[in-house]
Amino acid sequence: MNDDSRRGYKLEVWVTAICFFIVAVTGGFFSSVVVIMNEAFFDQVPTPEALVAAYGETMFVFKEHLSVWGFPLHYFLLVVLSWIGATLVGAIWCLVMDRLEEKQRA
Amino acid sequence: MEPRGEVFVLGLILSIVVLLISVLISVWARRFTRSLGDYYVAGRSIGALNNGLAMVSLALSLTTFIGLTALIIEGLYVAVAVYASFTAAFIGLMVLAAPYLRRHKSFTTMAFISERYDSKTLRYISVVVMMIVSVLYLAGNLKGIGIVFYFLLGVPEIVGIIVGGLVVTLYVTLGGMYGVTYNQTFQTIVLLFCLMFPVAIVMRTLGATGWVFPPLGYGDMVPQMTEAVPHYFWAMVAHPVVYIAIFLGSFFGIIGLPHFVMRFFTVRDAREARWSTVVCVFLVGLVNTTVYATGFAAVYYMQAEGVNIPTAAYDYVVFILVEALAGDSWLALAVAGSVAAGLSTVSGLLMIMGAGLIHDLYGTMKPEVDDDKKLKLSYGAMFLVGVAVILFSLDPPEFILEAIMWSFGIAAAGLGVPIVLGIWWKRTNKYGVGAGMVVGTLLAFISWIMIGYMGMDPVDIPFPFFAKYFYGPLGWIKVIAVAVPVSFILTIVVSWLTPPPSEDLQRQVDEMHGWSDVDPKRYNGKGLPITIIILSIFIMWFMTALYDQFPK
Repeated sequence: MNDDSRRGYKLEVWVTAICFFIVAVTGGFFSSVVVIMNEAFFDQVPTPEALVAAYGETMFVFKEHLSVWGFPLHYFLLVVLSWIGATLVGAIWCLVMDRLEEKQRA
Repeated sequence: MEPRGEVFVLGLILSIVVLLISVLISVWARRFTRSLGDYYVAGRSIGALNNGLAMVSLALSLTTFIGLTALIIEGLYVAVAVYASFTAAFIGLMVLAAPYLRRHKSFTTMAFISERYDSKTLRYISVVVMMIVSVLYLAGNLKGIGIVFYFLLGVPEIVGIIVGGLVVTLYVTLGGMYGVTYNQTFQTIVLLFCLMFPVAIVMRTLGATGWVFPPLGYGDMVPQMTEAVPHYFWAMVAHPVVYIAIFLGSFFGIIGLPHFVMRFFTVRDAREARWSTVVCVFLVGLVNTTVYATGFAAVYYMQAEGVNIPTAAYDYVVFILVEALAGDSWLALAVAGSVAAGLSTVSGLLMIMGAGLIHDLYGTMKPEVDDDKKLKLSYGAMFLVGVAVILFSLDPPEFILEAIMWSFGIAAAGLGVPIVLGIWWKRTNKYGVGAGMVVGTLLAFISWIMIGYMGMDPVDIPFPFFAKYFYGPLGWIKVIAVAVPVSFILTIVVSWLTPPPSEDLQRQVDEMHGWSDVDPKRYNGKGLPITIIILSIFIMWFMTALYDQFPK
């Protein structure tokens, strides 16, 4: 493997790993983080009567100052990152791979 | 759920128009099919935009159109998280598999696994896994078509399943992959219009100021929603590992579902494969976010306005909502969109099942049979598969989206893992893949039989050690957080303990990544397999943590 080839290989592997990590975060890990760090996103309030049986005496509603265009921040991020965010990440990956493919052909 | 009480003439006319155009496109596309390669992979001649649009309609089945709305009513934030993951999963499919599979020049997922690992046995096993996941996926979608017919005509769902199933079988058999591709492109355009406009009208009627752009146009209704349904945006109804299971199921499931992968074998080259996925993820995201708005509107309509819709009718909510808040003409559009959504996905699935049976099963057992005979047999096989699936679908699942989610889980453990490792780790061999595929598939499939088919409570199934942790909303989905990691661990460990694949097989990995030379060090390090094993063990351990903090 010559230097150009090694650089191309490393570029492919690292760009792919980073892009996959970013979309994996929006694709599942983000919601896990929201649950684990719930106090950063939600205020604890008494649970409405109908929900006490399932969730206990207290539950959480999102913090009002953490909102974008009226949506709770975590919901907005989930919806937008998994759509526009993923599209942008995909487009960047495609551009890098197009360039790598041209070098491989050369 | 009561039918409308009268035949919905406008909806019926638009639905028949969609069905007729679909058959006509197939008849027209038939002229392009001259060889087996034309029939199965459209002569590898499809461009990025056409393939991207075709993939959209494949992804946006009836489960999205009507099933997701039902799931949002049931699961609120968790349901949105499921589809957010499914949307982002297309980029996972692209960066891990799509262009590499295109360079491999196989016809199907099963052929890829067989040729990459040089094993006929793996080809047979993968055909069986493909049939399981495809039938599960189809059953959900055919039930959806039945729901549409029931709503249109008041006839039993079974009639819709038979009529819709026969129409799709007819046009798939006639037109092959060319017909399927052009039909899916047409159906995507129909679906985009037929979803966006009725939902915009519904949002306007409910008072959303941003109704012209439904995906993000209901922010001003959030305060009323949180007053009526305080836990609508609450992520904490489920253990965090549920979201990781959703990630594993959607990201590796989409790679393992052969009808998605087959689309990449139809494009001209790897570049077209990549860009078609970007087109697809943007449009899939647009539609999915519109359906989140529909789900929000449905919950708002039921809770804030005090309308009672029984649980058994949740799969009909889209139509109920559009009829009540937008009117008959918009409802007709929504119904036609649903028909298009159902047809496109069913056609893709029938295509891969026919290809799997003739190309991968019959073709491997009888290699002396020439392509002309295989092509003739393909027409017959496709028709028989269609009829068989219709018969199976006569006893469909209760909620259509659940069957699809199981299908994703089984596909992830059974087919997604060997594809990803086959592309990114040269040391993967047939022994490891055999162990991982069989055990991963069985873990997920047997769990489906007990939970999805027999209706057992997930925490009561005889699943060693883990069953007690399958609690809470969508608790069964945690099965995926065991099956996929186990499949990864077994594949890697058994591959390490057995002889490495031949140089010729390892050369395929370099070729898939576009290298003209071969280097044994490329894609052969220890970093990737060790990282995967550590993450897999962590995920399974994590499921057992925080037991007391979440509702059972």
